[in-house]
Amino acid sequence: MITTLKRSMLAALVLLFASTSWNLLAGPKADQTTTQSGGAVSSDSYMGLSGEELWSNNCLRCHNIRPPTMYSDAQWDVIVHHMRIRANITGQEQRAIVEFLKSAK
Amino acid sequence: MKIPRCYLAAIIQTALVITVSSVARAQSEETDGYVTRKEYEELKAQMLAMKKELDALKKERAVAPKQEGRESQAVVDTASKQAGPEGQLVADAHKQLAPEVSLPLVQLGTTKFLLAGWAEGMFEARNGQVSTFSASFNPIFLWELTPKLLFDGRLEIEPSGGGTNVNLVNAQLSYLLNDYIALGVGEFFSPSNVFVERFEPQWINKLPDRPLAVYHGILPNISVGVQVRGGFPIGPTRVDYAFYVSNGPVLNTFDARTAGTLDFNSYTDNNDNKAVGGRVGFLPIPGVEVGYGFETSKPGFQGTTFSDLQALVQSVDLEITRDSDLLKGRINLFAQYAWSHVDHAVYDPDGSLGFGPLPLTAKQDGGYAELAYRPTKVDIDFIRNLELIFRWDHLSRDPSGLGDPEETRWTLGLNYWLSPSTVVKAAYEWDQPNGEPNENALLLQAAMGF
Repeated sequence: MITTLKRSMLAALVLLFASTSWNLLAGPKADQTTTQSGGAVSSDSYMGLSGEELWSNNCLRCHNIRPPTMYSDAQWDVIVHHMRIRANITGQEQRAIVEFLKSAK
Repeated sequence: MKIPRCYLAAIIQTALVITVSSVARAQSEETDGYVTRKEYEELKAQMLAMKKELDALKKERAVAPKQEGRESQAVVDTASKQAGPEGQLVADAHKQLAPEVSLPLVQLGTTKFLLAGWAEGMFEARNGQVSTFSASFNPIFLWELTPKLLFDGRLEIEPSGGGTNVNLVNAQLSYLLNDYIALGVGEFFSPSNVFVERFEPQWINKLPDRPLAVYHGILPNISVGVQVRGGFPIGPTRVDYAFYVSNGPVLNTFDARTAGTLDFNSYTDNNDNKAVGGRVGFLPIPGVEVGYGFETSKPGFQGTTFSDLQALVQSVDLEITRDSDLLKGRINLFAQYAWSHVDHAVYDPDGSLGFGPLPLTAKQDGGYAELAYRPTKVDIDFIRNLELIFRWDHLSRDPSGLGDPEETRWTLGLNYWLSPSTVVKAAYEWDQPNGEPNENALLLQAAMGF
């Protein structure tokens, strides 16, 4: 059991190191500037991120993002509700994302 | 004959009165100035009928408020268009009554339903096996009863043999307790296994097949029970979590090949002990997440010598998604490694099953790492829609040493995205089970999410 715990902690540390180091390769600042300047930006925000950025960050973690026009407002309500539970996003993030998706149409 | 002057004046006066009266009557027919007794009685009868009709409408509104707006408007519109003055009387009377019940003209239902899901068609040519086409349709039913209550259910429908298989993949009721906590009950994707929760649908999974070990391997895919889950910020970072209690797996004890392994496909329980599991994820920056998942259980059948055995499965995972100006595109790195441990036991202790006694402490491990690159920042559409994928996956041999051997695969794939959720995939897999002929495979697939 102790070996197992050591293995878990070691693996977690390696993963954490790898994930934070990865940031050096990326250009997230430029991307964020781009998204803030483009089109409809939600008036709601969370942790300094607009609804559009939260939508992009959370959805792109797993799959391509679909355009806001693809679904009606009511359908987006259901989809983001479902995804909130699946992706463990907070209520504030859910509201900011839904507001962005509705306003972006 | 001489007519007296007074008589002449009277005759002229009478003629004038008659003439003026006729003109006035003619004018009154155009301007609605006077009505006869008969007309008055008719109008009165109509008013009484209309009053009765309005009373009936008011009663209907009380029973079916959703309809009242349209009915009310219809009464006003119809009455205004028809029957001239009488119709206008009805319309005016109805408008006077309408404010009493504040009518919404269009009132839609509050329950929201969405049919989503995905479908795929696939061709697989694997060395040592006959090549075959396959297909599946996976509808997802989403009902939002209120902004806090949601039902989600998924079916898997696929042709098999001479018929069609229909499986219930999940069916869960969930309730949002607050901004950070959601409760769920039913059949759900196991939170301890991040692959099946997030990447399993074939329009999301970047390769045509799923990785060894984490999919129908060491970790559970589906759990039946209750769960609590959510996420919360810690400064600029975020933590997400999910914990659950479920029926848990069943320990395989009857077959030498699988002895000591856990069967996660038995959704009804075999004892009173419940499995407890979960996953905690940490997001240090947007687009990066590391996680740890686990499930502990007593998987042996109740009343047998295996009933007190303890099983523990664990996994660590990493998900990175980054847009890179340097690489002119998007990089995805997904990795997950899992391992399991079942306490020491003697399988088939009296040899009655033909392979014992077989003492062992069952251990297994395996996982995958997948790197994908899509040139999303290139100007040429065709190039921008391509995605290159590389995956390594591995599963250790069955704990008894008599079952499946250790297996390691290397897969190279190329995708073309027709839309954000429609993809055509081609992949070649180098598959070399230890000590057995290779099972290299060509895989082709088209998948669509909707």
